[in-house]
Amino acid sequence: MRQGKRLLQFIALAITAVIVVILLFTYNPASSGVFPPCPFHKLTGLYCPGCGSLRALHQIFHGQIAAAFGLNCLMVLSLPFIAYGLLAQSLRYFFNIKIPTVFIPARWIWALFILIIAYTIARNIPLSPFTWLAP
Amino acid sequence: MYCPFCGQQNTAATGRCAHCGQSLQPYAGAQSPTYQRRPDIPTYLVQAILVTMFCCQPFGIVAIVYAALTTSKISSGDYAAAMECSRNAEKWCWLAFWLGLIPMLLYAIFIGVGIASGSMH
Repeated sequence: MRQGKRLLQFIALAITAVIVVILLFTYNPASSGVFPPCPFHKLTGLYCPGCGSLRALHQIFHGQIAAAFGLNCLMVLSLPFIAYGLLAQSLRYFFNIKIPTVFIPARWIWALFILIIAYTIARNIPLSPFTWLAP
Repeated sequence: MYCPFCGQQNTAATGRCAHCGQSLQPYAGAQSPTYQRRPDIPTYLVQAILVTMFCCQPFGIVAIVYAALTTSKISSGDYAAAMECSRNAEKWCWLAFWLGLIPMLLYAIFIGVGIASGSMH
């Protein structure tokens, strides 16, 4: 019963992932209206730490790593970690396969927290070196 | 107490977790740190970073804070507190996820209705 539920979850997740990847590959979020505008940016006019992520993913799918880096460098840098982490958790949850994971010490996570806050502030400063961080 | 393996609450008297059957005894590893086995408490760090980077609003940051708290509680051996923080991390991840997703779904419906009504005229 539990196995069946997980299989259904896996199929639903896999289909969703494939659809999202196809949409992101086909349509550029920078120019097409397929993807919604960010509500946070619409409301406040500010860039959140994730601003530019979808546009950057679109560029990555087309092999344009430099362009992706220019849109959201923090997302591009965190992508290997997110991808491996999701792979490890999915394998474990759906197939009970355990691949090695790194235990990240708390102080690293606090450092990441400070980095994200600093990044968010920096990319909203409309002056020369900081505008490079804006999407 | 909370079971350090599955996170379910047990009455303090039981020697084994009523839900997953793991021992609720204090770790033997507490005396010999070399063999200390870290309990399986999820920190939700990956999900927290994911929602921060893709859900377009600031609640993912709160989840990252709880991931950090979970990790430090695991490191200090306070598994009950780690479990609490883990749950909060999970809660904030889901909140950020849905707050990011719902506007997208509404937008998709809005566009869909627009196309449907446009094609009727």
